[in-house]
Amino acid sequence: MGNQTGMMERISESTRSLTTGVDTKDVEHWVMIYIMGRGYRVPADLTIMTAMEFAGYRLIRSCGCRQGFCGACATIFRREGEYKLESALACQTRVEDGMSLVQIPFSPADAASYDIASEAYAYSVFSKHYPEVARCVSCNTCTKACPQDLEVMDYVQSAIKGDFGGLTEQSFDCIQCGLCAIRCPAEIVQYNVAQLGRRMYGRYGSPEPAHLKARIAEIEEGKFDEALDRLAGASTEELEKLYAASERESDG
Amino acid sequence: MPELKYVDGYPEYMRESIEVVNRTRGKRKDFVPDAMTAEEREEVLKVHPDYAPGGKRELALGPNAGDPVPGPVADLLEAYPLIDGKEIDLARADLEVDVMVVGGGLAGTAAALCAHDSGVAKDKILLVNKLRHGDCNSIMAEGGTQAADRPFDSPDRHFLDTIGGGHYANKPDVLRALVEDAPTIMHWLEELGAVFDKEDNGDYVENWGGGTTARRMHSCRDYTGLEEFRVLRDEFRARGIPKLEHSPAIELTTDGSGRVTGAVLYNLETGEYRVVGSKVVILATGGFGRLHIRGFPTTNHYGATADGLVLASRAGAKLRDADTVQYHPTGAAYPVQIVGFLLTEKLRGAGAQPVNREGEAFVFPLEPRDVEASSLIRECYVRDNGITTPSGLRGVWLDTPLIDVKNGAGYIDRQFPAMKRMYARFDIDMRKDPVLVFPTLHYQNGGVETDPDGRTNVEGLWVAGEVSGGVHGKNRLMGNSTLDTMVFGRRAGISAAQAVASAGAGERTFQHVTSYVRTLEEAGVATDRRAPMLLPEYRGKAALARMIDVL
Amino acid sequence: MTSENTNSPRAVGEASRSKKTRLPYYPGCTLKTTAKNLEDSALATAEALGIELVELPRWNCCGVVTSLTDDDLMHHVAPIRNLIRVQEMNAAGLADGETRLVTLCSMCFNTLKRSNARVRERPEDLTSLNDFMYLEEDYDGSVEVVHFLEILADLGAEEIGRRVKTPLTGLGVAPYYGCTLLRPKEIGIDDPERPTIQNDILQALGAELIDNPYKTVCCGSYQTVQDKHAVAELAHGILTHARAAGADVLTTFCPLCAFNLDNRQREIVERHPDFETIPVLYATQLMALAFGLGPESCRFDLNFVDPRPMLSSKGIMKEEAWATRQA
Repeated sequence: MGNQTGMMERISESTRSLTTGVDTKDVEHWVMIYIMGRGYRVPADLTIMTAMEFAGYRLIRSCGCRQGFCGACATIFRREGEYKLESALACQTRVEDGMSLVQIPFSPADAASYDIASEAYAYSVFSKHYPEVARCVSCNTCTKACPQDLEVMDYVQSAIKGDFGGLTEQSFDCIQCGLCAIRCPAEIVQYNVAQLGRRMYGRYGSPEPAHLKARIAEIEEGKFDEALDRLAGASTEELEKLYAASERESDG
Repeated sequence: MPELKYVDGYPEYMRESIEVVNRTRGKRKDFVPDAMTAEEREEVLKVHPDYAPGGKRELALGPNAGDPVPGPVADLLEAYPLIDGKEIDLARADLEVDVMVVGGGLAGTAAALCAHDSGVAKDKILLVNKLRHGDCNSIMAEGGTQAADRPFDSPDRHFLDTIGGGHYANKPDVLRALVEDAPTIMHWLEELGAVFDKEDNGDYVENWGGGTTARRMHSCRDYTGLEEFRVLRDEFRARGIPKLEHSPAIELTTDGSGRVTGAVLYNLETGEYRVVGSKVVILATGGFGRLHIRGFPTTNHYGATADGLVLASRAGAKLRDADTVQYHPTGAAYPVQIVGFLLTEKLRGAGAQPVNREGEAFVFPLEPRDVEASSLIRECYVRDNGITTPSGLRGVWLDTPLIDVKNGAGYIDRQFPAMKRMYARFDIDMRKDPVLVFPTLHYQNGGVETDPDGRTNVEGLWVAGEVSGGVHGKNRLMGNSTLDTMVFGRRAGISAAQAVASAGAGERTFQHVTSYVRTLEEAGVATDRRAPMLLPEYRGKAALARMIDVL
Repeated sequence: MTSENTNSPRAVGEASRSKKTRLPYYPGCTLKTTAKNLEDSALATAEALGIELVELPRWNCCGVVTSLTDDDLMHHVAPIRNLIRVQEMNAAGLADGETRLVTLCSMCFNTLKRSNARVRERPEDLTSLNDFMYLEEDYDGSVEVVHFLEILADLGAEEIGRRVKTPLTGLGVAPYYGCTLLRPKEIGIDDPERPTIQNDILQALGAELIDNPYKTVCCGSYQTVQDKHAVAELAHGILTHARAAGADVLTTFCPLCAFNLDNRQREIVERHPDFETIPVLYATQLMALAFGLGPESCRFDLNFVDPRPMLSSKGIMKEEAWATRQA
């Protein structure tokens, strides 16, 4: 492998804009975006998040995982010439020319206190902790606001019906960004309702597998102590031999 | 450069190679390249960023003087503090608690919950976060959590897989705790109401991970970390345990004889500092992906800047295996907006294959991560069989449509909603077309050395999760990090709670910082570098060049 | 079955003798929770009659909710969205071209049918609603909201009688209607003053029909939340008149009426110690028993006044069938 000299440098050079911030001289295409009303000229291939950074914002709010999992970068935007306000995750959405935007870094929403171990597995858990679910007018605004494209209204309806499995299925990909609650005319905190429902389903609707309980008992009885003692005390040479000889479970 | 024409999310020139991949899929369906021998692994690892020449230097000072670490890590460990102590009134504590947890990912949250379970009153616990409670790597974990709970499997098999993947550098007593506690952690999550993928008969769906000899990956679609974390966070919130967000710890305090007694926090929004006294401190600050070691993009969250290594090391904590970095084999390489983002190993566990420009499967898809990543780098930069993107990156294909071919239509929809959604946002349908991948900086393999309860060599200081070192040796396996966070978060929480019972509050000083600065000067480290870093710098260069501070 | 005869209610009976009729069915939230006894018994009954009630996919609340805005059109979003789901169900090939939507809960029936009537009368409202729900396909006004009682009536007493295995001989049944099946009269399924639609059906089951002049007297409706004692007084009147007329049980199709007449007997007994409790049943529960479908389809555990002792004393239900289940 003689030609690896300079390989790391070549890799590093190809990702320089991503790892150190964008240099204007590398940019070919530009767009105008409006951050809270003020216009900025930014490279066309950035996301809303990286475009804000290019513009000079040092993000403290509205930036967490940067990859669509944490829900920190909820953003409301409008396209030029449109009347609709749309929602997006700043880290997952490419800028468009004429886009006007604001970030919603936090939702001061109510979250109930409960002890999951002492709740009854019944629809009444929702009316007990989040009675406002009954006010849903089925307007579907929550669904339209969801940057994950979840059927939010459907999972609220599942809560009303006491359908924990349906709620879990429909709400599972929720990243709790809060946009549904911010826009709901019935003032429901959809994502917290779903959190409660999923935990109820996880604890009561989807029982712990027997093989897990059996394994915990075996460990407590010391069934693996001898094998683990041997491995923990083995030399590297012994371990190498055992590792090389270890057979992979059959796929069948 | 002329405008590129795009078809289904890809520029036309890339589609030529995609057609080759689509054409060869039938042939590859039942063909999987053999796993490598120990010698083959050794050979390919030469192109791994850890082993390719350059990139590391030996530490000039501190508990690990003489040990090689990646350059950007050495830069932080050999840097001046953000504060020297003169401007801070350490004697007056804004808050005094028994257990302070620094960092609110899975490890920190588990530690706080278990300290509470072990008898520490909730108001005597404080969880502090640099960003929000949930801005962490844990929440982005996709593929799964290992636990040897099926009859075929066993904790000793889990141990052997992990230590083999870790190049036999793992600390045996700590590793043993990991594998023995794994089923208990699954039980804990069940009780808290986490929803895992299950078979119709109620058993777990368990998948392959790279370097495992048994199916032991427990998943929640491809949102495993999200589900585990939001359940723990909901429990934490429901119990009303206090937390402070956007308040990173910027220095620990010690009592003058080496014991950690608290920390100084900095409000990122107002600039105000707070002094917190605590009988014990649990550091759960995560890793260092945002240091972009060797110039790699990263899967890590915004705040992964090695703050915990800096704080612990200054207080005298010993590091181990800090020379190795995990590059996840399959980061996104196209489109440019998502470069470096994680494509879970579960994709390969479910049958996706790395394939080169000519449509050839060139590597066993489930080698340990360092071997798999090296093989992709070799294919792109040594054998020149990669595809170059419009922004100049190279990558190989991950043949994702093969997943549905092997498991039946609809499998990707059910099991990979996050991956499918991410690509759909950029007009790519990963069920029909392969996706382009290249290794991405993923994980800090080493860190602060601990005993099996997360205790460090510094009195009063525990660590848990990615900031710790030892359990994974020099290369972590898939599914062992979410497990690590909860096993050692829990153990640290319990063990710290026991220690609190007999510990009094200590004096708060910066003596360790003063002596560290003196060592820096004595070692002749002339630099204006300051640490901890807290946040990476991504602002546009033009904007930065004209910034002035007048307010 | 051809598409021509699916729109004719009469055709259901004929069809059920040869092939199953599939009808879109709207349950409503109460039937999934406290009125599971209405749903289970009705579904079992329908099946026995050769009717498959296919639950509407993605149904939402019928729309009976507290007012949130002054513009009342918002309240029609929920019901009309459900009617759109019927169109979708047909487009997905799940409803054999059937445009009738069957309801069981009389409150849902009332809301859905009134909302449907409103948008048919006022096309501008339909346009507004369709515009608001721009993510859905437009509602075209084609759905007919019907109540299960209408389906039963169309089947006819003879057809129902043919299924009876255990006649309700000697059981005095007083049908109760309340308001939502009957009013306003534009959408009601029977004469609002003198409804009789349950009569033929109950008689076909072999029951002794008891005419109760209080059958359309208000049960107290949602006042039950504010003032349970006032509602208990209304219920007391209805129940004592039925008892005096010779009734052993009352029947209804409304979960709210059922709650007020059944569960409020707790308060009645407190105020009127001499009051003798009387079971209040969904008519479908009796029908299921008469058809020999067994008590398991009746969920009597959700009835407040347990009807099983009464039904056993009349020989309609075996005593051990419920006694052992209780143990």
